[in-house]
Amino acid sequence: MACFLVSTAAAVGVTVAQKIVAKKENKKVVPEETEIKDYKFGCETKWSTRLKYLATTLWTGSFLLAGEHVIHGEVVPFPPFLTAAADPTDAAEMLHEMGTVGVAMCALLIVAWGVGAFLCDLIKFRKHKKKQKPQLEKEI
Amino acid sequence: MYFLTALVCTIVAGVLFFCFRDRKGLHLDFLTITFGAATLMWLVDCIACAIGGEPFLSFDDPQDGWVALWTVLGGIGLWLVVSFVLNNGKKEEPKE
Repeated sequence: MACFLVSTAAAVGVTVAQKIVAKKENKKVVPEETEIKDYKFGCETKWSTRLKYLATTLWTGSFLLAGEHVIHGEVVPFPPFLTAAADPTDAAEMLHEMGTVGVAMCALLIVAWGVGAFLCDLIKFRKHKKKQKPQLEKEI
Repeated sequence: MYFLTALVCTIVAGVLFFCFRDRKGLHLDFLTITFGAATLMWLVDCIACAIGGEPFLSFDDPQDGWVALWTVLGGIGLWLVVSFVLNNGKKEEPKE
Protein backbone atom coordinates (compact mmCIF):
# COMPACT_ATOMS: atom_id res chain seq x y z
CA MET A 1 0.00 0.00 0.00
CA ALA A 2 2.69 2.48 0.97
CA CYS A 3 5.54 0.26 2.12
CA PHE A 4 8.04 2.14 -0.05
CA LEU A 5 7.57 5.27 2.10
CA VAL A 6 9.63 3.74 4.92
CA SER A 7 12.61 3.28 2.59
CA THR A 8 12.07 6.76 1.16
CA ALA A 9 12.15 8.28 4.66
CA ALA A 10 15.32 6.29 5.41
CA ALA A 11 16.82 7.50 2.12
CA VAL A 12 16.20 11.14 3.10
CA GLY A 13 17.88 10.56 6.47
CA VAL A 14 20.86 8.77 4.95
CA THR A 15 21.32 11.48 2.29
CA VAL A 16 21.40 14.18 4.97
CA ALA A 17 23.87 12.13 7.04
CA GLN A 18 26.03 11.55 3.96
CA LYS A 19 26.22 15.29 3.22
CA ILE A 20 27.23 16.05 6.82
CA VAL A 21 29.89 13.30 6.85
CA ALA A 22 31.23 14.45 3.45
CA LYS A 23 31.56 18.02 4.76
CA LYS A 24 33.49 16.79 7.81
CA GLU A 25 35.75 14.63 5.65
CA ASN A 26 36.46 17.49 3.27
CA LYS A 27 37.75 19.54 6.20
CA LYS A 28 40.45 16.95 6.83
CA VAL A 29 42.10 17.04 3.40
CA VAL A 30 44.62 14.25 2.95
CA PRO A 31 46.73 14.20 -0.23
CA GLU A 32 45.61 11.26 -2.39
CA GLU A 33 49.05 10.01 -3.33
CA THR A 34 50.40 9.71 0.18
CA GLU A 35 50.50 6.11 1.35
CA ILE A 36 48.51 5.06 4.35
CA LYS A 37 51.07 4.24 7.04
CA ASP A 38 48.90 2.39 9.51
CA TYR A 39 46.71 0.31 7.27
CA LYS A 40 43.55 -0.76 9.00
CA PHE A 41 40.69 -2.86 7.72
CA GLY A 42 38.26 -0.58 5.87
CA CYS A 43 40.38 2.56 5.99
CA GLU A 44 40.57 2.87 2.19
CA THR A 45 36.89 3.70 1.69
CA LYS A 46 35.45 6.96 3.00
CA TRP A 47 32.28 6.81 5.06
CA SER A 48 30.66 9.38 2.80
CA THR A 49 31.17 7.02 -0.17
CA ARG A 50 29.66 4.13 1.77
CA LEU A 51 26.66 6.22 2.78
CA LYS A 52 26.27 7.38 -0.81
CA TYR A 53 25.87 3.76 -1.88
CA LEU A 54 23.29 3.18 0.87
CA ALA A 55 21.36 6.29 -0.15
CA THR A 56 21.44 5.15 -3.80
CA THR A 57 20.14 1.73 -2.80
CA LEU A 58 17.26 3.18 -0.81
CA TRP A 59 16.32 5.90 -3.32
CA THR A 60 16.38 3.68 -6.40
CA GLY A 61 14.51 0.83 -4.74
CA SER A 62 11.84 3.24 -3.49
CA PHE A 63 11.60 4.83 -6.94
CA LEU A 64 10.83 1.53 -8.70
CA LEU A 65 8.39 0.49 -5.98
CA ALA A 66 6.64 3.86 -6.13
CA GLY A 67 6.05 3.26 -9.85
CA GLU A 68 4.52 -0.11 -9.05
CA HIS A 69 2.15 1.53 -6.55
CA VAL A 70 1.16 4.17 -9.12
CA ILE A 71 0.32 1.46 -11.67
CA HIS A 72 -1.74 -0.41 -9.09
CA GLY A 73 -3.63 2.82 -8.30
CA GLU A 74 -2.46 2.96 -4.69
CA VAL A 75 -0.71 6.29 -5.20
CA VAL A 76 -2.55 9.11 -6.96
CA PRO A 77 -1.37 12.59 -8.02
CA PHE A 78 -4.03 14.42 -5.97
CA PRO A 79 -4.72 14.61 -2.19
CA PRO A 80 -4.65 12.51 -0.08
CA PHE A 81 -2.10 10.95 -2.56
CA LEU A 82 -2.46 7.53 -0.97
CA THR A 83 -5.85 5.98 -1.77
CA ALA A 84 -5.74 3.98 1.45
CA ALA A 85 -5.47 7.19 3.50
CA ALA A 86 -9.00 8.23 2.51
CA ASP A 87 -10.64 5.45 4.53
CA PRO A 88 -9.76 5.01 8.27
CA THR A 89 -9.94 1.18 8.06
CA ASP A 90 -7.64 1.12 5.04
CA ALA A 91 -5.38 3.67 6.70
CA ALA A 92 -4.90 1.40 9.71
CA GLU A 93 -4.09 -1.50 7.40
CA MET A 94 -1.68 0.71 5.48
CA LEU A 95 0.14 1.76 8.66
CA HIS A 96 0.36 -1.89 9.71
CA GLU A 97 1.86 -2.80 6.35
CA MET A 98 4.35 0.06 6.60
CA GLY A 99 5.34 -1.14 10.07
CA THR A 100 5.88 -4.73 8.99
CA VAL A 101 6.65 -5.05 5.26
CA GLY A 102 8.07 -1.53 4.87
CA VAL A 103 10.42 -1.82 7.84
CA ALA A 104 11.48 -5.33 6.73
CA MET A 105 12.26 -4.00 3.23
CA CYS A 106 14.33 -1.15 4.64
CA ALA A 107 16.15 -3.48 7.05
CA LEU A 108 16.96 -5.96 4.28
CA LEU A 109 18.40 -3.19 2.10
CA ILE A 110 20.57 -1.95 4.97
CA VAL A 111 21.78 -5.49 5.71
CA ALA A 112 22.56 -6.06 2.00
CA TRP A 113 24.49 -2.79 1.90
CA GLY A 114 26.40 -3.77 5.06
CA VAL A 115 27.37 -7.13 3.59
CA GLY A 116 28.41 -5.47 0.33
CA ALA A 117 30.51 -2.84 2.11
CA PHE A 118 32.18 -5.52 4.25
CA LEU A 119 33.02 -7.64 1.20
CA CYS A 120 34.49 -4.61 -0.62
CA ASP A 121 36.68 -3.83 2.40
CA LEU A 122 37.74 -7.48 2.65
CA ILE A 123 38.77 -7.57 -1.03
CA LYS A 124 40.77 -4.35 -0.64
CA PHE A 125 42.37 -5.61 2.57
CA ARG A 126 43.45 -8.86 0.89
CA LYS A 127 44.88 -6.94 -2.07
CA HIS A 128 46.86 -4.77 0.32
CA LYS A 129 48.18 -7.86 2.15
CA LYS A 130 49.22 -9.42 -1.15
CA LYS A 131 51.09 -6.24 -2.09
CA GLN A 132 52.83 -6.11 1.28
CA LYS A 133 54.04 -9.75 1.26
CA PRO A 134 56.85 -9.39 -1.31
CA GLN A 135 58.03 -6.18 0.39
CA LEU A 136 58.26 -7.91 3.76
CA GLU A 137 60.10 -10.88 2.22
CA LYS A 138 62.62 -8.49 0.66
CA GLU A 139 63.19 -6.78 3.98
CA ILE A 140 63.85 -10.12 5.66
CA MET B 1 6.11 -11.54 -12.02
CA TYR B 2 7.88 -8.21 -11.56
CA PHE B 3 10.03 -9.78 -8.84
CA LEU B 4 11.34 -12.24 -11.43
CA THR B 5 11.81 -9.43 -13.96
CA ALA B 6 13.81 -7.41 -11.44
CA LEU B 7 15.85 -10.51 -10.54
CA VAL B 8 16.74 -11.19 -14.18
CA CYS B 9 17.60 -7.49 -14.66
CA THR B 10 19.86 -7.60 -11.59
CA ILE B 11 21.70 -10.65 -12.92
CA VAL B 12 22.15 -9.12 -16.39
CA ALA B 13 23.26 -5.76 -14.94
CA GLY B 14 25.61 -7.54 -12.51
CA VAL B 15 27.25 -9.54 -15.30
CA LEU B 16 27.63 -6.38 -17.41
CA PHE B 17 29.11 -4.54 -14.40
CA PHE B 18 31.63 -7.36 -13.90
CA CYS B 19 32.55 -7.44 -17.61
CA PHE B 20 32.97 -3.66 -17.89
CA ARG B 21 34.23 -2.99 -14.35
CA ASP B 22 37.14 -0.89 -15.65
CA ARG B 23 34.86 1.54 -17.48
CA LYS B 24 33.72 3.74 -14.61
CA GLY B 25 31.93 6.17 -16.94
CA LEU B 26 29.24 3.60 -17.67
CA HIS B 27 28.07 3.65 -14.01
CA LEU B 28 26.90 0.05 -14.27
CA ASP B 29 27.24 -0.23 -10.49
CA PHE B 30 24.32 2.20 -10.24
CA LEU B 31 22.21 0.06 -12.59
CA THR B 32 23.01 -3.09 -10.61
CA ILE B 33 22.16 -1.37 -7.32
CA THR B 34 18.87 -0.06 -8.78
CA PHE B 35 17.64 -3.47 -9.88
CA GLY B 36 19.16 -5.22 -6.85
CA ALA B 37 17.35 -2.93 -4.41
CA ALA B 38 14.02 -3.41 -6.19
CA THR B 39 14.55 -7.19 -6.21
CA LEU B 40 15.19 -7.27 -2.47
CA MET B 41 12.17 -5.09 -1.75
CA TRP B 42 9.87 -7.25 -3.87
CA LEU B 43 11.36 -10.35 -2.29
CA VAL B 44 10.12 -9.09 1.08
CA ASP B 45 6.75 -8.35 -0.54
CA CYS B 46 6.57 -11.92 -1.92
CA ILE B 47 7.49 -13.39 1.48
CA ALA B 48 4.79 -11.23 3.14
CA CYS B 49 2.26 -12.53 0.57
CA ALA B 50 3.32 -16.13 1.27
CA ILE B 51 2.95 -15.57 5.04
CA GLY B 52 -0.51 -14.09 4.42
CA GLY B 53 -1.63 -17.25 2.63
CA GLU B 54 -1.30 -15.91 -0.91
CA PRO B 55 0.98 -17.53 -3.50
CA PHE B 56 4.66 -16.50 -3.35
CA LEU B 57 4.66 -15.67 -7.06
CA SER B 58 1.46 -14.63 -8.77
CA PHE B 59 0.90 -14.17 -12.50
CA ASP B 60 -2.85 -13.49 -12.36
CA ASP B 61 -2.90 -9.70 -12.11
CA PRO B 62 -3.27 -8.17 -15.60
CA GLN B 63 -1.27 -5.12 -14.45
CA ASP B 64 1.78 -7.26 -13.65
CA GLY B 65 3.01 -6.91 -17.21
CA TRP B 66 2.92 -3.13 -16.97
CA VAL B 67 4.80 -3.22 -13.68
CA ALA B 68 7.42 -5.52 -15.22
CA LEU B 69 7.77 -3.13 -18.15
CA TRP B 70 8.05 -0.20 -15.71
CA THR B 71 10.75 -2.08 -13.79
CA VAL B 72 12.92 -2.44 -16.88
CA LEU B 73 12.25 0.97 -18.42
CA GLY B 74 12.24 2.85 -15.11
CA GLY B 75 15.55 1.33 -14.03
CA ILE B 76 17.24 1.91 -17.38
CA GLY B 77 15.76 5.42 -17.68
CA LEU B 78 16.98 6.37 -14.21
CA TRP B 79 20.42 4.95 -14.99
CA LEU B 80 20.63 6.95 -18.25
CA VAL B 81 19.65 10.20 -16.53
CA VAL B 82 22.01 9.70 -13.59
CA SER B 83 24.89 8.62 -15.87
CA PHE B 84 24.35 11.68 -18.05
CA VAL B 85 24.35 13.98 -15.02
CA LEU B 86 27.39 12.33 -13.43
CA ASN B 87 29.39 12.34 -16.67
CA ASN B 88 28.55 15.91 -17.66
CA GLY B 89 27.90 17.62 -14.36
CA LYS B 90 31.51 17.79 -13.16
CA LYS B 91 32.95 21.27 -13.11
CA GLU B 92 36.15 21.63 -15.09
CA GLU B 93 39.14 22.69 -13.05
CA PRO B 94 40.62 26.01 -14.13
CA LYS B 95 43.82 25.63 -16.15
CA GLU B 96 46.90 27.17 -14.61
